[in-house]
Amino acid sequence: MRVLITGMGGEVGTRVAQLLEERRDVTEIVGVDYVPPRRRLRRSEFRRIDPRERDKLAAFAAEYAPDAVAHFGIYEPGSRLPAKLAARYTEAAAVAALGGAARAGNLQRIALRSSIAVYGRGPGRPGVPDEDAAVAPTTPFGRSLLSLEARAAQLGRRHDIPVTALRFATIAGSHMPSPLGRVLRLPAVPVPALADPVFQLLHADDAARAMVHALFADIDGPINVVGPGAASIWQAVRLGGRVPIPIAGPMWRLASHLVELAGAPAPPHVIELLIRGSAADGSRAESELGLDGLRSTHDVCTELYEWATITPLRPELASVEASRG
Amino acid sequence: MAELASLPVFGVDLDHAQDVALLDVVRRRVDGRFAIDPFGADPQLQDLVGPLFARTVPVRVTGAARLPADGPALLVSNRGTGVLEPTALSVAVRQEVGRRLRIVGTPELPVVADIIRKLGGIGAYAGDIAAVLRAGHLAALPLGLTWLRTGGGMPPTDLLVSALGYPVVPVAVRPGGPFGLPIRPWRVLIGAPIVVGEIGDRDPLTAAELAESVRGAVAELD
Repeated sequence: MRVLITGMGGEVGTRVAQLLEERRDVTEIVGVDYVPPRRRLRRSEFRRIDPRERDKLAAFAAEYAPDAVAHFGIYEPGSRLPAKLAARYTEAAAVAALGGAARAGNLQRIALRSSIAVYGRGPGRPGVPDEDAAVAPTTPFGRSLLSLEARAAQLGRRHDIPVTALRFATIAGSHMPSPLGRVLRLPAVPVPALADPVFQLLHADDAARAMVHALFADIDGPINVVGPGAASIWQAVRLGGRVPIPIAGPMWRLASHLVELAGAPAPPHVIELLIRGSAADGSRAESELGLDGLRSTHDVCTELYEWATITPLRPELASVEASRG
Repeated sequence: MAELASLPVFGVDLDHAQDVALLDVVRRRVDGRFAIDPFGADPQLQDLVGPLFARTVPVRVTGAARLPADGPALLVSNRGTGVLEPTALSVAVRQEVGRRLRIVGTPELPVVADIIRKLGGIGAYAGDIAAVLRAGHLAALPLGLTWLRTGGGMPPTDLLVSALGYPVVPVAVRPGGPFGLPIRPWRVLIGAPIVVGEIGDRDPLTAAELAESVRGAVAELD
């Protein structure tokens, strides 16, 4: 199988490449992104293409003619790119890479990263939706992923290719840039004053494993992948030993500006998670994708706080270290 | 959620009630080391208030052997005004089989909704009921309001779609006093479980069949 990984420069995209390298049945792995991979890769090839250069990306995907596309070219707003740019990159990467790969004719399957944000949150929506629940996103991130899912499904129907949309819970890990992680790691964290919503996280490694499983399973449609269990906002803040600052109503606007000033940009989907939570039923990931041993939300949440602090190396210390050998 | 056993739950059994100490519960809330599930339920808080409810709403249970001691099941009960019957039922379940009951129909109101969720309430959505049953919990679904009337009340057919294939237990909750006066103790009558359809089946006609038979069964209990 020849696999094209879009978004290979991200933490999860790189991990997918590493996992695919271990498989004998994957003969070739080629990745594209606007930033290079995050870790050492042995036999994967990487092409640095900015998704906004649509023609170049589409031409490359069509020329490579992959058997499968692992589409990780999803740019979460506030993660590496500001919200507006993230939406444009996400859209461009999908149109060019998926379209180009499908046109080439060898394509047998598409697996793409989506999010449980497509279900939306709030009145009239189930608290723990499964894949049959209605999709009604309430944030720009959710809406952009829903239109991406629709676009991919349309492409799949036209070319008769199964398309698996992996609806992930918020992806986090100890060294993964995530807007939620940055907010929770602030010394004081805004929390809803009159509520204690629950949310679920997914470990970055588990997201990569889910993608590999999806490339080899024959599933046409969405699958929720969430870390088992849950955590509440107040609980998460206390787990990290942070100070909860209760916020209500219109104060949230001010709070989101303040956390951004403090170095943690909080796009609408992160604010929504803080106010209304985020959860879904992930039982199909186990029964249909065969994914087991997912890291629990509680473990991922604890790991979020194990972000290595920077210890500046003073010159005198450095020389002591050097003389010790 | 078969991997429930691997969750870090701090010694909390996610289904069966346990004894808790107030001091320990408070200390765990302060440092964040407590279990919570995706529906928002906090098992330790449930166990903390359980005995208080049992003292306020004592119950006398008939047919307790029909309550499942393990595994998923949906109890379908009548409801007069909406609040006391589910409370009486959860007291009955805790007293007879020692399980925590999840009650369908959390109102979407600020503050109130969060408190009810922490005590085991879930939303009145087919998806939520399906998820809670898949996770192996015991849930209760009240029929429509029967205030100033007798009988079973309208069954929520659109919600019962999620219960196809699972044991559905009809339950009647009656006030203890003569003429339906809410005098203690409450009487809880448990009927024989009904299983209609298969798990994962979402056929509305089969659900309507289940709804009619369970409504009849609740009305017949006395």
